[in-house]
Amino acid sequence: MFRTRSSLVITGLLASLFAAAALAADLQSPDMVKMGLHILAGVYGDMDRKLAAEQYDRLPHENQEFQEGSGALRDAVAHEPAAFKGKVEADLKETLAAAQKVADTSKTHDKTQVSAALAALASSMKTLNALFPEALRAEPGTVDPPWMQHGGKAPPPNK
Amino acid sequence: MMKGRALKVAVSAQCASRRTVLLAAFAIPFGYSVKALSAAPKKQVQLDIASDGDLLAFKPDQLTCPTRAAVHLTFTHTGKYITQDHNWVLTVPGAAEAVAQAAMAAEEHSGWTPRGDKRVLAATPPCGKGQHVSVDFTAPAPGDYPFLCTTPGHGAVMHGILHVTPN
Repeated sequence: MFRTRSSLVITGLLASLFAAAALAADLQSPDMVKMGLHILAGVYGDMDRKLAAEQYDRLPHENQEFQEGSGALRDAVAHEPAAFKGKVEADLKETLAAAQKVADTSKTHDKTQVSAALAALASSMKTLNALFPEALRAEPGTVDPPWMQHGGKAPPPNK
Repeated sequence: MMKGRALKVAVSAQCASRRTVLLAAFAIPFGYSVKALSAAPKKQVQLDIASDGDLLAFKPDQLTCPTRAAVHLTFTHTGKYITQDHNWVLTVPGAAEAVAQAAMAAEEHSGWTPRGDKRVLAATPPCGKGQHVSVDFTAPAPGDYPFLCTTPGHGAVMHGILHVTPN
């Protein structure tokens, strides 16, 4: 019984890996997908910095960028099979709603509430990223490390 | 006779001193203008830079020009989706982060650029999606000068270096 379950789990995992690999090979515009996900992750990073600096009034602008930037991912999957496109659209819709929540919550100027909304956005972005091969993903908080790490002096020559 | 000769000598001496004064009067500003010419920019340099599509990055993020060159820089906003403006602001070394902070206080009506801030060496006006803007400036002393977009939040990641080389 236990062995059968284990076999099923392993088979399932292998099937997912193969499916992801097949998807990577099958995507019509992998570069555009990568850019679309990077745009969203970049704006997320900007939101995160605004929250850290408690610049709540700027967060609605970041949400606007997020909503506009999502057009890149939409265009990137425009020619994908309907089932996959539908899945991306559904997850993207949730991600955009989460970004809107960040903007709405920012009006409270309550760091705890805005942090929770941003965490929810990060979570939905991870779900969205998981639809794509690992090489194309841009997880929230992983792109565009701020130059503040370099003390505001000369950034690295080739970031 | 002697009196007349002495007078002639005196007059010619007076003329000579007048000439000297006149020459000196011409020479002083001429000397200054020679100095000014030698300090004038030597080369005309065109630099082109753009946003990296809709990503918060400059492309290229490294520029080079010789010191004292008369630089004409053109920035192009190549974004397709995001309407947020960008700009290009050159600062003195080590001041980029402080300028980014000062830009926040400068607010949108000033193009997110702290006007009169001595740490700012050159700045374009804000540039919308699909547009381009320019700025003219004289390249500073040799060194590495940071540049950034001062639209709030952009500078932390949208930045680069202008390498100013000796002539």
